[in-house]
Amino acid sequence: MSTQTKKILNGYHVVFLVQSAMLGTAILTLPRELSAVGYSQTVFPLLFGVIASLTLWPMIWLNRKYPNENLFRINELLLGKVLGKIINVLIILQITVFIAGTITYYMDLIHSTTLPEQTNTFPLILLLLLLLYIVSGGIKSIARFCILSFFLTSGIYYFSHWAFQKGIVSHIFPLFNFNSHELFDAMKRGYLAVVGYELIMFYFPYIKEQNKAFKHALIGIWISISLCFITVFISVIYYSEWQLKNIKFSVLNLLKAGELSFIERIDVFAMTLWVFLVISTLAVYLWSAKKGMESISDKKKKYYLYILAIVIFLVIKLPFTRDFHEKLYKVNDYLVYVLIVWPIFLCIIYLLRKKQVQS
Amino acid sequence: MSRKFLFIATIFAAIFLVGCSSKEQRVPLEDVGMVGIVAFDYIDENTMQLSIAIPQYSSHAQKNTEVFSVTTELASKGIIDIEALSDKKITFSQLRVVLIDEKFARIGDLQRTIRHLYRNPAAADKVLIAIVKGVSAKELIEADYPDKPNINFYLNDILKPTINTAFNPNTNIHDFVYTGTNPVIDPIIPVIERKDQKIEISSVALFKNNKMLETISAEDAYIIQNLQKKHKIAPLSITLNQGDGTERLVFNIVKSKVNIKSNKNIDSPKLTISLVINGALIEYKGKRNSSLYTSEGLSKIENDIDKQIKNNIDQFLDKLKEYQVDPIGLSEYFRMYYNGKWTKEMTEDITSKLQIDVQVKTSIISTGTLD
Repeated sequence: MSTQTKKILNGYHVVFLVQSAMLGTAILTLPRELSAVGYSQTVFPLLFGVIASLTLWPMIWLNRKYPNENLFRINELLLGKVLGKIINVLIILQITVFIAGTITYYMDLIHSTTLPEQTNTFPLILLLLLLLYIVSGGIKSIARFCILSFFLTSGIYYFSHWAFQKGIVSHIFPLFNFNSHELFDAMKRGYLAVVGYELIMFYFPYIKEQNKAFKHALIGIWISISLCFITVFISVIYYSEWQLKNIKFSVLNLLKAGELSFIERIDVFAMTLWVFLVISTLAVYLWSAKKGMESISDKKKKYYLYILAIVIFLVIKLPFTRDFHEKLYKVNDYLVYVLIVWPIFLCIIYLLRKKQVQS
Repeated sequence: MSRKFLFIATIFAAIFLVGCSSKEQRVPLEDVGMVGIVAFDYIDENTMQLSIAIPQYSSHAQKNTEVFSVTTELASKGIIDIEALSDKKITFSQLRVVLIDEKFARIGDLQRTIRHLYRNPAAADKVLIAIVKGVSAKELIEADYPDKPNINFYLNDILKPTINTAFNPNTNIHDFVYTGTNPVIDPIIPVIERKDQKIEISSVALFKNNKMLETISAEDAYIIQNLQKKHKIAPLSITLNQGDGTERLVFNIVKSKVNIKSNKNIDSPKLTISLVINGALIEYKGKRNSSLYTSEGLSKIENDIDKQIKNNIDQFLDKLKEYQVDPIGLSEYFRMYYNGKWTKEMTEDITSKLQIDVQVKTSIISTGTLD
């Protein structure tokens, strides 16, 4: 059954695929999600980095046992065809709703900052078309787009230096004055900002130097973690604890502190540029969902991508209340955590069924 | 075959779908009124007077500013009412200054009003706030300033940071929300007054529990800026009263460095503030004119300046203690060591018990090129 997949991804492709998939819209609100622990949140991105590095290891370990298979196939091989396929359908659903959630979130931001007098249908269609165009080029073109978007958008960080100058640095010293409940709350809500690296389990078969994949993925993870750290660091020194808790898009307000003689409103400029980060994140997810559909039907069909795009559009435009949508996305977000611990479970099964599976 | 059909069908559909689109409601740029100033005046507990100033670019108008004003309960409702009066579509994206009249600052709910602007994504966070004394905020923007440019630019230029008004805290919306919600610091806002066809920053208002409490002089406000380590280089005028009669001197600060250390004890709080000032002596008027040119004479003057500045700071800090406000954020030096949740009451407690040891070290690094 196994087919030899073409190895097309170089090391640097892996670095930026991992990095871009992590950095999407969640970082915009990261300081708010972590606000339960107040000013002590500075250390949390680093903590997340350590957790991400630890959970990456079982993923790579499992994938290296099957150098030509992605997670969907591994599910089927380890859990049997029926159970594996059921799990795969769930994963695809999770990814689809996740994409819908991220787009809704970004559209909300665009709606409130740059296009307040317009419904989001037209921008939404444009965004989906762009996404389709990039994803239809295959994983390598996505990787190239990720590299491009990283270098185009990383310049935004320069514009946060005004907030940095204005801030009070003594805020950052962590006092650890929170209880376990607040700690758990911050972990649960904040870790969403760094998920995305688990998608390596889907494009792993395409990596050329699979023995170095762990190292490359780690570099990607820590690039994202350091960007999260900078965001949280500047937010902590610039805001009061009340502001951390109540400002919806901290990054937006950080950029509002900026002043250039020739651009009055850097925040609007940066938020529209953010679309690169959003699309590069979603492209990797959409591509993975498409792979999942191919593995379920055992056929390669291009129109799967269009089906997915239409489903995403429908999920976003479902005529339910805003409250229902928010709950749906929230529950769905937390399902990502299952996907992150899933490989550990699979590793155990692999070890238990080693002989059967290998024969 | 089917591909061709699909292509033609799409084009036809696109042509006829145009009929389904609704008419654009977008406003062209020349019909947008970019609000430069928003002013709030207190009427009673529930209502306020909201005024806005828009630069008038039409050459047919006699005045260069359009001012609209309505009585309203909610700020955004007021904006809608003004849009009905105005010939333009109102937007806040070019807002630069918020004016508050003194009564509103003293008894109105300023924090809520400012937060409304803070929430509005169209308004920048750099919008400066000022309190109007003497006249109402509406009168201030409606008044004539014949030799000045448009009031929108004039007011913004006055409130912007400059060397000559180094005492000005340049409070903007973000600063006000930040200081108003941070338990370790109390907000301050510059106070402006109209004096013979010009506007000047006359003093700085202290806030306590988000209500205006008292105004302090420019000299005292300058101490706040200095102790907050905002490195503003400004001329400092000092009156010495240290035994040689009244001496006046103007001192141009080249470099100043502040170091604040706390004893980390919130039960008997104590701070050591050491201030190092390097500057050039620009002008001196007094008995000791001749001793300016000898190094012993200079070091004696330096000592006297040290004592005088220490005196000024001590007096000012005593005043703050009396009011129980902390505009400098001195409580932060205790919060950063305190393992627990910090509350506003703790700040008040610290401010009233605080013992401060001020050490000043001045050095005159130049007296000019005349000998």
